[in-house]
Amino acid sequence: MTILEPVSEVDVEVTVNGRSHRHRVAARLLLSDYIRDTVGLTGTHLGCEHGYCGACTVIVDGDAVRSCLMLTVQADGAEIRTVEDLAPEGASSLSPMQQSFHDNHALQCGFCTAGILMTLESVDPTDWSEPERIIELLSGNLCRCTGYQNIVAAVAQAWNSEGDV
Amino acid sequence: MIPSSGPHIRSGTRFVGRSVPRREDRGPLTGGSRYIADVKLAGMLEVVFVRSTEAHARIVSVDTSEARAVDGVEAVFTATDLAEVESFPDHIDSIGPVRQRPLATDRVRYVGSPYAAVVATDRYVAEDAAALVAAGTEYEPLPTVADIQQALAPGAPKLYDDWDDNRSVDIAYPRPEADRAFAEADHTFTATYVSQRQTGLPIETRGVVSDIDGGTLTVWTSTQSPHMVRTTIALMLGVPEPQVRVIHPVIGGGFGVKTHIYPEDIVVPWITRRLGRPARWIEDRMESLLASVHARDQRHDVEVAYDGDGTIRAVRCTSTLDLGSGEIFYPGTAPVFATNSCITGAYDLSKVQTRAVAVVTNKTPSGAYRGFGIPESTLVIERVIDRVARLTGTDRAELRRRLLLRPGQTPYVMHAGGRIDSGSHAESFEQALELAAPALKRVRARHAHDPDVRVGVGYANYVEPTSPSYFRTTGHWGGGDAATVRVDPDGSVRVAVGLSAFGQGAETTAAQLAADALGVSPSEVTVVLGDTERAPYGLGSWGSRGAMMLTGSVMLASERLTAKARAIAAHMLEAAESDIVLADGAFHVAGSSQPSISWAQVATAAWIRKVDLPDGMEEGLETSGYYHPEHLEHQPDDTGRFNSAASWSNGAHIGIVSVRLSTGEVSIEDYIVVHDCGTVINPALVEGQIHGGVAQGIAGAMYEHLQYDSDTAYPRFASFMDYLVPTCAEVPRLSVDHRESPAPDQPLGVKGCGEGGTIGPPAVVLGAVSDALSEWGVELTECPVTPVAVRAALRAAGAARGRAEGNP
Repeated sequence: MTILEPVSEVDVEVTVNGRSHRHRVAARLLLSDYIRDTVGLTGTHLGCEHGYCGACTVIVDGDAVRSCLMLTVQADGAEIRTVEDLAPEGASSLSPMQQSFHDNHALQCGFCTAGILMTLESVDPTDWSEPERIIELLSGNLCRCTGYQNIVAAVAQAWNSEGDV
Repeated sequence: MIPSSGPHIRSGTRFVGRSVPRREDRGPLTGGSRYIADVKLAGMLEVVFVRSTEAHARIVSVDTSEARAVDGVEAVFTATDLAEVESFPDHIDSIGPVRQRPLATDRVRYVGSPYAAVVATDRYVAEDAAALVAAGTEYEPLPTVADIQQALAPGAPKLYDDWDDNRSVDIAYPRPEADRAFAEADHTFTATYVSQRQTGLPIETRGVVSDIDGGTLTVWTSTQSPHMVRTTIALMLGVPEPQVRVIHPVIGGGFGVKTHIYPEDIVVPWITRRLGRPARWIEDRMESLLASVHARDQRHDVEVAYDGDGTIRAVRCTSTLDLGSGEIFYPGTAPVFATNSCITGAYDLSKVQTRAVAVVTNKTPSGAYRGFGIPESTLVIERVIDRVARLTGTDRAELRRRLLLRPGQTPYVMHAGGRIDSGSHAESFEQALELAAPALKRVRARHAHDPDVRVGVGYANYVEPTSPSYFRTTGHWGGGDAATVRVDPDGSVRVAVGLSAFGQGAETTAAQLAADALGVSPSEVTVVLGDTERAPYGLGSWGSRGAMMLTGSVMLASERLTAKARAIAAHMLEAAESDIVLADGAFHVAGSSQPSISWAQVATAAWIRKVDLPDGMEEGLETSGYYHPEHLEHQPDDTGRFNSAASWSNGAHIGIVSVRLSTGEVSIEDYIVVHDCGTVINPALVEGQIHGGVAQGIAGAMYEHLQYDSDTAYPRFASFMDYLVPTCAEVPRLSVDHRESPAPDQPLGVKGCGEGGTIGPPAVVLGAVSDALSEWGVELTECPVTPVAVRAALRAAGAARGRAEGNP
């Protein structure tokens, strides 16, 4: 009879959206599953778990990261931000970028939206506000519904009206 | 920024025609929406399916003992355990019966076929155990059939032993006039065109969660048709239908993939009943590429009779669809009938003789995908027209002008019975040509001095049949849909519809329609859908039917509701019913300064103040309407012909491409869409549908291809690395313009717009690249147009030598 190796466990301590969490988790637990199942924030979505579609993008210590390609243990000690952290007063308000997505019909099914918003959140807009740069920035996030045109328009509008942010 | 109003506003409506902001946005923007993978229940078990790694084999044995021994595994089930479950129904005699079992029994017919289910407390553990089941499976391989040609070869291995051969359907639509035209024409040619295998590929994979509480089985599933799933679960599990509740949570895209009813929709609820525990299965991406339906994969063998002046006398076309294994419910045969019946598209070509064939192969079952056979038919007719133009020296646009349906020709009945009710076929093309002319000039100027680049233009004119009947494919489910409208005592409106929603904005649209019908604001309307317990029986959203069905059913129910409310208001105002007008959300006596009665007052009387009701009036303020479109037919006549779509949108696409000769790289430099879906309810949403549709069409034209090994029928794809979904760097900026030719037989003239965008691009890109390479006589016949395909075509045309010098 095949005996599976026992699954090793590790202690992790992370900050997610400003709140600290300590858990004992399986060493093989993906960061995406940790955020969704252990912390319970399901706004981060899984589109492929191959690191390709970008839907699961979160910010780890300031960098956009595909949470399906990172183990939870690798994020030990890190500060993580997810889509739930973007609206200034929680879900009852919208950030300028979220508002611009709404105003420009830049989402349909919305499954990829969190990953796109987190990719945008991870950069300094001054370097990225030209349409060609926006396309370059978002070329790692798949969207199947919108054809991208309204997404690019929404980003351009949000960043250009934010002035020198 | 999308204008909040536009030219679409018409008198008599306040919200229809406006880009009312979407009510669906806040959840996804803030992370608050609950998709299928976010449905979590206490004590929920995780299910992982074990899938065939053989394309065609007998299953000799499945040893589940090691998997059962894994810590955390609750159960492992195989087909034997599900013996009591009914097979998926084979309702239609003319489609080869597949007797699909929820789990494969002794034979698998494609890589990905589910034959066992592992149930564990944890997904990771379930996957470990599934690997042990896979390792414990013994197969006896059978010879495989990997494509249409192999399936139809004499002596080909059969997938179903009791069939005569691998044909699931084979129906001819003879037309003697076409034979005569062939005899009389100056010239003929034959050609073969191919639309490759693709899949709709929503970014959210499928999933099922089930729970049981007392007698009620509740199933959350990422379906486009919850009521159809409920009916099928009840049938197959032998549970009374009222004891099954099916809910679709927020859905991350469907595109036809989620219209089918899959084995997992049956097995997961069965597990919950068996174990008495909630269970969940979430498809992973590799699984999705193998286990969710594929689509397109059609070959068209065409003969054309034409004269020297470019007149097309007649067309013969055999369309053959590769069904994969055919093990899917409803059957995947329907797209080839759509292709067949729309083979002449937006053109007036009556002498057409066709044959629709579907064959089974050892590949993933094919089924629905946005466009549903029409990108294929459009590709065929546009390639035919381009070829006739080239052979006769006729201008390609001019030849299309001669053939396009003109005002006054509708209703136009096509060769297989499709009845085009209205449209702007010729006008849309003219409008697109006007928009394209300056763009073409710009693009030509941009590349004028680069000897390595050629520029070409491609055209597609199409019809988009909307709100079709399912009956011919499913044996159930016609083409109507229901709405229930209720006004609660506080005056709030509740609209419940049988449709589903997965990104199109159906809730926003339904609120706009109800607001206009009841004279209230959309913000006062709560929309309920996607829940069989809370919404009336409906068929869900597919076939570009949402807008049309919503309009018909919501208006019908609202009219009935308003009639009752008017009677109550008349009684309360002590006025004649005929003097009561509904305006600005209140009932007034015409020409009187008397205070009005609000919806809240009427509803309060109806529900909780019987004393205010007229004598003998029933309490309550809730009505239903079941809308069935006029002219929609469900069964063919004795020649096999019928009109299976309720209305017909149309459009014209023009694409301008540049082709780099040295690399074969194709860039779409400009893409113009003129679209006509009848009355527009929400312009922003319609435009969004077109943008997304065109992007998917371009995906099919240039990138996506599910390839199988021709010797083994083994898939050559496992992730997005092998299936190239376009990113924002690949999708060009679109110029979209609208026309509105209202549907003559629909309450607001609404037609539907979900699929139109997807239909044009394959024909456009093939035409444009062929045009760009016309100096070498290149005529592309197959999608996707990859750099490799372009280089191969140039080489075949003898244009390859000297390429490095920019001189093919």
